[in-house]
Amino acid sequence: MLIRLLRLLALAAALLAAPALAQTTHHIRPTLLAESARPAPGRTTMIALAMKPEPGWHGYWQNPGDSGVETAIDWRLPAGVGAGPLQYPVPHPLLISGLMNYVYEADYAHLIALTVPAGLAPGTKLPLRGTARWLACTAEICVPEQAEIALDLTVGDGAPTATAAFDGYRRALPRPLGGEGRFAASNGAFRLAVPLPAAMAVADPYFFPLTDGAIDYAAPQAVTRNGDTLIVETKPAPGAAVPQRIEGVLKIGRDSGLSLVALPGAVPPAGEPVAAAGEATGGGGGVTLLAALGGALLGGLLLNIMPCVFPILSLKALSLARSGESERTARIDAVAYAAGVILVCVALGGLLLALRAGGETAGWAFQLQDPRVILFLLLLVAAIALNLAGLFELPMVAAGGALAAKAGPAGAFWTGALAAFVATPCTGPFMGAALGAALVLPPAAAMLVFAGLGLGLALPFLLLGFVPALRRRLPRPGPWMDRFRRILSLPMFATALGLAWILGRLAGVDGMTLGLAAALLVAVALWWVGRRQAKGRTGSWWPLAPAAAIAIALLAVLPRQPAVAASAAAGGPLAAEPFSEQRLAALRQAGRPVFVYFTADWCLTCKVNEKAAIERAEVARAFAARNVAVLVGDWTRGDAAIGRFLAGQGRSGVPLYLFYAPGKPPVTLPQVLTPGTLAALAT
Amino acid sequence: MRLMSFVAASLMAAPAAALAAPQIGQPAPDFTLPSAAGKPVRLADYRGRTVVLEWSNPGCPFVQKHYGSGNMQRTQAAARAGGAVWLTINSGAPGKQGHMTPAEARAFEAKEGAKANAYLLDPQGSAGRAYAARTTPHLYIVDPQGRLAYMGGIDDKPTANPADIRDARNRVLAALAEMKAGKPVSQPVTRPYGCSVKYGA
Repeated sequence: MLIRLLRLLALAAALLAAPALAQTTHHIRPTLLAESARPAPGRTTMIALAMKPEPGWHGYWQNPGDSGVETAIDWRLPAGVGAGPLQYPVPHPLLISGLMNYVYEADYAHLIALTVPAGLAPGTKLPLRGTARWLACTAEICVPEQAEIALDLTVGDGAPTATAAFDGYRRALPRPLGGEGRFAASNGAFRLAVPLPAAMAVADPYFFPLTDGAIDYAAPQAVTRNGDTLIVETKPAPGAAVPQRIEGVLKIGRDSGLSLVALPGAVPPAGEPVAAAGEATGGGGGVTLLAALGGALLGGLLLNIMPCVFPILSLKALSLARSGESERTARIDAVAYAAGVILVCVALGGLLLALRAGGETAGWAFQLQDPRVILFLLLLVAAIALNLAGLFELPMVAAGGALAAKAGPAGAFWTGALAAFVATPCTGPFMGAALGAALVLPPAAAMLVFAGLGLGLALPFLLLGFVPALRRRLPRPGPWMDRFRRILSLPMFATALGLAWILGRLAGVDGMTLGLAAALLVAVALWWVGRRQAKGRTGSWWPLAPAAAIAIALLAVLPRQPAVAASAAAGGPLAAEPFSEQRLAALRQAGRPVFVYFTADWCLTCKVNEKAAIERAEVARAFAARNVAVLVGDWTRGDAAIGRFLAGQGRSGVPLYLFYAPGKPPVTLPQVLTPGTLAALAT
Repeated sequence: MRLMSFVAASLMAAPAAALAAPQIGQPAPDFTLPSAAGKPVRLADYRGRTVVLEWSNPGCPFVQKHYGSGNMQRTQAAARAGGAVWLTINSGAPGKQGHMTPAEARAFEAKEGAKANAYLLDPQGSAGRAYAARTTPHLYIVDPQGRLAYMGGIDDKPTANPADIRDARNRVLAALAEMKAGKPVSQPVTRPYGCSVKYGA
């Protein structure tokens, strides 16, 4: 009774306090910032309303979902100064008790374009004042908050003063998709088709409709890809008439999305499933996982016959055959080997996921993009090849059955770890699909796929360990084993050759030469070790120490100069260079005509234009004849400098094609190009 | 971690599916709920009269905007003066913000001077889910034939600021006026705004 009375009192107090909206503390703290403290007259400058939610609290997207409200600012601005609409970063879905909310749970910012009238004298004060209103909620309660916001700017030269922060805000905004989407709603199904190149990687896709009444917000979304089309299937909004035009944002990765408009039209049939955030209907996700797991297992199995793995495995099998009289030893060895393989696979997979979560565009075999790792592998593989060739003996291989029983499990574990580490460069061709799926699966499921890969790699050895019949099939040990070992050294040397080539690609000719010198050094040291072993000396390993020290020193100084251009779009038949404003200015200074184009991997129009009109032999000939320089701006990852340049051209997105004839203002070309239009430019 | 949210999302799908909304022009879902005054109220008993359903949560600032300013009470009084029945429904689950016992609901009605015919308690959320009520407030109008005539917001100014009520178009009174004039409701579905209904898990 007392508790009820207290609750009643608390309720009454809450109701009394309610009309007083003025608050001193906020659950989401707002700050108004400007990109330039001295905006130039007659230009647009960006300001930002930066929002900082307390832990557990969230703010809302422009379309808040099933409940909530959008953020608004009542401006009081100096005469002539105008503020554009609030721009919203890509939100994320938050389902509470069956109601969908489109929210921000971490720091976010709204960009606002501020126009400063021409003719204002430098030094003029620009006091920006306003009242911002937004809704702050937890899963349990909602608090409408408001705050007076203020910022004092002075008219000046427009030089940016907070570029880094604003570049970050801009990256969080959805980027406008070049093409239009199509949607169809019938029989309780809503289907949306978005043009997106098949080669564009998509992770955790989700469609956020800006138009209300289009889809049922809380319904799960199934996302599939059919060629160059991404298809979102969900339920239409209950009760409402389907709108004639739908705006929205398609999330395609962590904090990145594409804004798009869709019109009624035909939607192609669903294709390959992509795991979606709210994929609650089961089925799809489970099937993807199973397929990925199966693929990983099979891929791992295939790896056993690859040149980089087979010698290691055969060695292990031979040592088993040699020592194989004990059932228990064989099993322990097999399990230790499998543990080594699986642990390394899972560790590499975990590192890959961590890198991707941190925003790196790492792919499988990512470790092979670092020349230092390649050099390490090169030395290791060269040493193994020399060992197989008989230059020197490893204790664990050379020792007889008695020693293997002691050193066995540890030796087997490290053999497995080595096999898995060396195997990754071989994974590519077989594992592409399965690993691709792993990268879009939830991390726990992805780790399962990596473990599956390891299990597949370890499977033959596990079978040998646990099925004595198989082991009995192994040929009896004999002098032929030494011959076999020498032959196995050949694929291992080939692997070393391949690694040297990769090293050359990553670190240039100098890097490759350094690497080969290190390999030679290690070979000489190992040869010496072998000589000492042959004479039966103890402590026969010391010559390796200086060689290893020099190799480690090399790892530190190895140049990291990629031989291939950073942008995939650069180069090609037009000898294109990556875009930068400095390069553009330099080329124009030199009096060369310049063709500049902006593209992105997610922009289908861009890709079609590149294949059909730009990267054509006749265009290349025409451009070469007139000495036309070509610059490519790749905006796939929302490069901030390109974003600023596009905004300066009055564009919010790609594609954009510009032609700078010497001494003339730039011409903006149409978005649909033909080789003829381009060739004609150069005449 | 993500696998967990995967599983959680699957479990969430059940209540989401139960939110299949009624259609305009189709029979409105019937319900029987206990009122704060202690007697059961059945929607079908009002067949032949226009019924307004108002989803409410006294802890929600958007509900407070309309009660604190007297706008909700005025709307209730105007609807009843026009012959309609007004039922306020609270679908807050026990332990969640805005959940009320009958005594608390009676205290709320008395304090606010509410003009509804009855304040109904729906702690299980069954009536709320049958109507796919998403926000507080969320308004529905059932015509004398028992068919759904309107669902959506109370007005067209989705803010928590009481000062916005003056310039807002009261969508409920507009729809009631059109129905009284024998015309179809011009905007039968509008966007409701406010806090989410605090359903139980």
